[in-house]
Amino acid sequence: MAKKIEWESVFEKALQRSEKEGKPVLLDFFNPG
Amino acid sequence: MDAVTYPKDAVVEFVSENLIPLRVQFNEEPLASQFRVKWTPTLVVLDEKGEEHHRTVGFFEPNQFIPSQMLGIAKVAFDGDEFKTALEYLERLLKEYPESNSAPEAIYLRGVSLYKSTKDPKPLKAVYEKLADAYPGSEWTNRAYPYSLL
Repeated sequence: MAKKIEWESVFEKALQRSEKEGKPVLLDFFNPG
Repeated sequence: MDAVTYPKDAVVEFVSENLIPLRVQFNEEPLASQFRVKWTPTLVVLDEKGEEHHRTVGFFEPNQFIPSQMLGIAKVAFDGDEFKTALEYLERLLKEYPESNSAPEAIYLRGVSLYKSTKDPKPLKAVYEKLADAYPGSEWTNRAYPYSLL
């Protein structure tokens, strides 16, 4: 199975993970088309 | 981005190891208004408090996307006075992606990071010399011009 980016979808959860894991957040605003 | 950049193994690996990826639709409120999103893709690198440090608008191929994100991570560290971490990502960017569009800004920020961490002005002068030699037409060469007078 191909690897893929596991995107978070909730802002607050991403910030919590950022603080816990010591990584910045990449926030992608996208157009689903 | 979904067709070309995000599926690439190198991109998946870099994002997974170095960032918390968060994806929302361009019109999802309140985030769309909070971050003043007008076009897609808009990519923003945030610190753990949600403060913005780096933004791009438009498509990036993999070999431009990864160094752009390296620069974004370095900016988060630089803005937090974590110059060692900033320098690690900037050095990596310049080693692995020297031909990328992010390289001139990385050279500039590397010099400033070295200066701020050592108080030695030599790296600033070296910034201009390096940029003038390798990227004479870059806006970052122009921005570094005052350092040539040090």
